[in-house]
Amino acid sequence: MTGLPFLFGDPFFGISWLDAIIRILIVVGVMTLIVVYLTYGERKVVARFQQRLGPMKTGPYGLLQGFADAFKLITKEDIRPRNADRWVFEFAPYATFIPVFLVLVTLPFAENWGVRNLTLGVFFVFSVLGLNIVGVMMAGLGSGNKYALLGGVRAAAQMISYEIPLVISLLAVAMVAGTLNLNEMARLQDGRPFVLVQPLAFVIFFTAMLSELHRAPFDIPVAESEIVGGYFVEYSGIRWSMFQLSEYASLWGFSVFGSVIFFGGWAWPYGDELGWGFQLFLTMLKSFIFILAVFWVRITLPRLRIDQLMNFCWKVLIEVSFLLLLVNGFFLYYEWPQEILAIVNWLGAAALLAAVFYRGRRGSRAAQLVGTYRQAAQAAQAAKVEAS
Amino acid sequence: MSIWPEEHVATAHHGEGFDTVDMTINVGPQHPATHGVFRMVLTVDGEMVVDCEPYIGYLHRGLEKLSEANDYRQAMGYWDRTDYLAGLVCEQAYCMAVEKMGNIEVPERAEYIRVIMSELSRINSHFMFLGAFGADVGSFGTSFIYAWRERERIYDLLEEVAGDRMFPTYVRPGGVAMDLPENFEARCRWVLSSVYQGLEDLDGLLTGNEIFVERCSGLSPVSPETAIKWGLTGPMIRATGLPWDIRKAEPYSIYDRIKFEIPTGKQGDVLDRFIVRLAEMYQSAKIIEQCLDQIPGGLVLNPKLPRNLRIDNGECYVRVEGTKGEYGVYGLARGGNKAYRMKLRSPSFCNLSALREMVVGNYVADAIIILGSLDIVLGEVDK
Amino acid sequence: MTNENPAPAEAAAPAFPGIAAAIHAALPGVPMTARETSTDVDIRVAPGDLPAVVEALKDREELAFDYLRNMVGLDMQEAGLEVKYHFYSFKHGHSLQVTVPTPPGNPHVPSLTPYYPAANWHEREAAEMVGLVFDGHPNLKNLLLEEDLRIHPLLKAHPLQAIEIVQGIEEGKPGFEF
Repeated sequence: MTGLPFLFGDPFFGISWLDAIIRILIVVGVMTLIVVYLTYGERKVVARFQQRLGPMKTGPYGLLQGFADAFKLITKEDIRPRNADRWVFEFAPYATFIPVFLVLVTLPFAENWGVRNLTLGVFFVFSVLGLNIVGVMMAGLGSGNKYALLGGVRAAAQMISYEIPLVISLLAVAMVAGTLNLNEMARLQDGRPFVLVQPLAFVIFFTAMLSELHRAPFDIPVAESEIVGGYFVEYSGIRWSMFQLSEYASLWGFSVFGSVIFFGGWAWPYGDELGWGFQLFLTMLKSFIFILAVFWVRITLPRLRIDQLMNFCWKVLIEVSFLLLLVNGFFLYYEWPQEILAIVNWLGAAALLAAVFYRGRRGSRAAQLVGTYRQAAQAAQAAKVEAS
Repeated sequence: MSIWPEEHVATAHHGEGFDTVDMTINVGPQHPATHGVFRMVLTVDGEMVVDCEPYIGYLHRGLEKLSEANDYRQAMGYWDRTDYLAGLVCEQAYCMAVEKMGNIEVPERAEYIRVIMSELSRINSHFMFLGAFGADVGSFGTSFIYAWRERERIYDLLEEVAGDRMFPTYVRPGGVAMDLPENFEARCRWVLSSVYQGLEDLDGLLTGNEIFVERCSGLSPVSPETAIKWGLTGPMIRATGLPWDIRKAEPYSIYDRIKFEIPTGKQGDVLDRFIVRLAEMYQSAKIIEQCLDQIPGGLVLNPKLPRNLRIDNGECYVRVEGTKGEYGVYGLARGGNKAYRMKLRSPSFCNLSALREMVVGNYVADAIIILGSLDIVLGEVDK
Repeated sequence: MTNENPAPAEAAAPAFPGIAAAIHAALPGVPMTARETSTDVDIRVAPGDLPAVVEALKDREELAFDYLRNMVGLDMQEAGLEVKYHFYSFKHGHSLQVTVPTPPGNPHVPSLTPYYPAANWHEREAAEMVGLVFDGHPNLKNLLLEEDLRIHPLLKAHPLQAIEIVQGIEEGKPGFEF
């Protein structure tokens, strides 16, 4: 491999723990910069969707907004409510942040370049995801506030439930890939990304990912217009910013993860041939497209209520993901052709999306009422235009 | 003084596996979802609301006492701040009450202008509802901004006509304060075309959305009998299926010369209320267009009004189709240039009195949506 | 029923105009007078007769007043306090105003909440604003004013002043406990 030799291949100075630390520092540094710009980027993207401009004043086009926010939050007073359980309250932000760091350990950013190239990469990510819930529950219970408690309980229920479809859909893809190593998975997608072979798994993964990240339409634990922030409502200043940081960092981490598993990460389309610079660029590009999709969904959709959310998980997503696992298993065991598997998957994805849309149509007989008025208004206008 | 109501002693449930205690949540006066300073104390059992007690009066400004202390024209400044989203409707109602008590005539052109302004205010207020309701349901921000674009256009038009955006005190007893500007008709038609576009945007964003429909459909259905019993009016009662609109049932001003329909819902749930308000906006636009076609020339203010308006004896109860329902002004005059008693029958006050009935038995998240669908404005509720 | 009507009755007007005739026919035993305001027909009944009148208004087919639209509490100074109700019938489309004068010093009126749940909040407001007492109301607490305030602002004797000195707010001590 060309390029900076000490970043690849053998451990730096031959000392593996020093090499690990340096790699972690690089990844965390990049992650911090990206997270700071994600706060700015989300505001800009959301504003553009809403026909307004977003931050424009701090720096040219508002580019320094993230740093301004971070600076302001660091200088804020750190308020701790009297009713809060002291150590639980103080450690909760860190407990939410640590799993994110751990996920970043396994992600490959270029060929063979990550902090560590774990053979059980996917499995490690699953197991670490569960720790997120601990942090959220600590925040909810330790705040001594009923809104926080409501938010924490909702969040815990939601995260625990949606982990199951998340894990199973990833397992299905791992079955097809035949490996749990993230680097190998990316390399296997050299010719064709897995999303073309396993679109149903992608749909399930995307939905479950939105729910794990508390993003709309599953953001009822942080429902801003109801319980004003949910589990982090009592936090101020730097602690609150740690929650936000961990949310955006896990968003970015998940995006890289998803793009590695489904879209080929650094390898597709020409990653193998064009060197580590292009591979890095591909990884970043794909993760940002993912993030843009998440923002888009957030801006457009209202939120589901907690029982609707749970119904959707337990009555729809889990069944579909188990079915997916079974079908994949059959195809792989009996060594039926992969093309048929892909077609079956596409049909499954289409069926799931159609069922979701159809359920919405069923309830909106009232929308037809508005439709008639709109048509009548337009007909009247058209008649007037013709008459004049 | 304790801020918790004495009746809501937490009830403990025993014997269902484990002991639980109902939790009281204070959806306090400062809350992004309560559309103003309004407080309700919800007693919840898990996520289910068991009891709800609303507390109002945070915006009580002494409207009625001040109307007794100021003469008829001065008190107008208090009345348009009641329903502050649609000030001109309130002004029209108050001026009609003064005119009925004092037997004052209003020139025809002024009546048409009043109707145009009222309907523009109605569209304005309903846009606010669409924006805020979208925010309550969760598409935070997007629906607000779409609605605000149209509201700004309407406010600009109101500023051109009346001099002020929200509280112009433009409608006076005996007519309106000044005539319309020359380019009003062209401007108004342009605003209406933009309103149609904004309605299409909001319609596409919210009405066809599966999640929105799931959240709102079937939530707190109200039957017509319940609505009449509790005094619900306006879009609340039209959503239940009863086509009752004061502009048609007890016509005032020039509404008997204008053709428009009354959109009704089927079961009075939250989605029906939303749809009815959305459809009403098209009807309001239709009314404005007809008024622009029919408006005559002439004076806009009764020239025979004395400088010091005195009414010796008069009593009336004037009701107007306000944006939220039946906006009623009861007036009693016993001589002098000040009213003896003026009372505001505000639609939001009466709609809000039925809140407990509608919220109990639903989830906490739904309680917020139901409150949003009532479309209350606290200036009216608290007088 | 010794109060003066605010508006002078015209000499040629009928004793029971409009819907009042039907009400008088339905309740011959109840003493009432009627007149017309600028917008409605107004009948005047004593507080003791109010339940009978309201039951007739609600239950009789030709009256069918199912909607209590408004309620006003008034201070008529020497003549005592008054309550005015406004009813409407969805079936027939007619409206009615009912005036209930109370003798000075005895502002008790039977509550209409058992008949019309809409009266609940209107009665609370009238009670706190002028000092009426509605017998049989389930929850006659202050609505718009603070819970422990015992003033009646809309009485003519209560002056309009810049600040209502009732909150007990002193220097350095808030008026309420968190």
